Amino acid sequence: MMLSSVHVKIIVFLLAGFVSGYAGNIYAIDQKTGIDEQAQLPFWEVSTGGMSLRLIQRLPIQSRGYFLARGFNATQAERIARSCIFQTVFKNTSQGGQPGKASTLEYNLNDWRVIYKGKKRKMKTRQDWASEWRAEKVSKPAQIAFEWSLYPTSQQYKPGDYNWGMSVFNLEPGSRFDLEITWMQYGRKNTAIIKNMECAPDINPQPTEAL
Amino acid sequence: MKNIFYILIMIVSLTGMSLAMAGEKKQTLPAVAKPFKAPEFALKDENDITYRLSDFRGKVVLINFWATWCPPCRIEMPSIERLWQKVKGKGVVILAINVGESADTVFKFTGQLQLSFPIPMDTKGEVIKKYPAAGLPTTYIVSPAGMVTHRAVGSREWDDPVLMKQLMAMRIPNRNGK
Repeated sequence: MMLSSVHVKIIVFLLAGFVSGYAGNIYAIDQKTGIDEQAQLPFWEVSTGGMSLRLIQRLPIQSRGYFLARGFNATQAERIARSCIFQTVFKNTSQGGQPGKASTLEYNLNDWRVIYKGKKRKMKTRQDWASEWRAEKVSKPAQIAFEWSLYPTSQQYKPGDYNWGMSVFNLEPGSRFDLEITWMQYGRKNTAIIKNMECAPDINPQPTEAL
Repeated sequence: MKNIFYILIMIVSLTGMSLAMAGEKKQTLPAVAKPFKAPEFALKDENDITYRLSDFRGKVVLINFWATWCPPCRIEMPSIERLWQKVKGKGVVILAINVGESADTVFKFTGQLQLSFPIPMDTKGEVIKKYPAAGLPTTYIVSPAGMVTHRAVGSREWDDPVLMKQLMAMRIPNRNGK
C-alpha cells in the first residue's frame, strides 16, 4: 500500500492540526470586553488555554446595599461602595486527564498592579481592609462577611477549580485604569495587562442637603 | 485505498472533536498534594444538634464550606441535595458548613431549596480557617481514616456520575469486598 507524497502531506497536516487543537495553545493570551449576560454590566476578560479571568463592574449602589445588609454602618458602606469594586471570576480551565495540558494555577493579588495616571500601586486586599475594620471595631459578623466576600488574596487552583469574589481597586467611581496581572501556570510566570478598565460610575448618588 | 485514507481522516477528526467536547464538561475532584489530618470541630446546626467530625470516623465525609450570599454556593446546593439522596446511609456523609451567618438566614435559605443534609454553622468563621480554605465554596473530602485527601475550589455538579463514583470508591469495602 503506497501513499503518494500529496497524501503524506495531507496526513501530516491533519495530524499536526489535531495535536495542536487537542493540546490547545496554552500560552496565547486572548482579551475581550463586553456586557456580562447575567450582571448586564461591562466586563473585561483575559483567557489562555489554561485559565480565564473575568472582571465585571459592580455598581456602587449594589455594594452599598450589600454591605449595609451585612452590618456595616452607612459611612463604612459608602467607603466600600466608592472604592471601585469588580466581581471577579478566575478559573483554571486546563483540562485534567489530558497529558501536557492539565496544570495547577497559582496567583497572589499582592503581585498585581493597578496602573492609574502612569503610576503603579498594589490592590487593596482582605488583609488591608481587616486591619481597618478591627481599628473601627466593626462587628464580627460584618467582618466575616466582608472577608469572605472579597476575592481570595492568594490561591492555588487545580484543573476545574475557580472562585468568585469582589476585587477592590481603590479608585473613584468612573476612573479608568490598566491592570497588570500575573499568575503561575505550566511552570512559568505569566503576565498580562488589561487596558482601559473603568470603575462603575456612581449612577445613583446620595441626595444632598441642597436638594 | 482511497476509502481507507478518508476513513482514517474521519476517525482522527471525530476523535479530536469528542475529546475536546468531553473535556469542557468534565467535573473534577482533585487530590490534595499531601493528605493531612482533618482538623476536628464540633459545630451546632440551626436545631442545636452538634456535629463532631470524629463521630464520622470510618465514613467518607464531604465538608462543604458555603454562605447564602455566595453565588456559586447557591448554584451547587441542589446538586449536593441530589447527591445526599443517593449516598445517604451508604458510607458517605455530607456536612455543609455555613460560614458566618445567623440561624435565621440559613433557615430561610434551606427552606427555599428544601435541603435535607446536615448544615452545621461556623458562626465565628474559625473552623474554615483551620482547613484552610481561601474562598467560598470550598469542599474537602475526608477519608474514612480521618485524612483530607481531596479538595474542590468553586462549585461542582456533585451528583455527576464521575464524582459520585470517585466518592463511593473512597469508602471502606465491606466484608463482601463491595
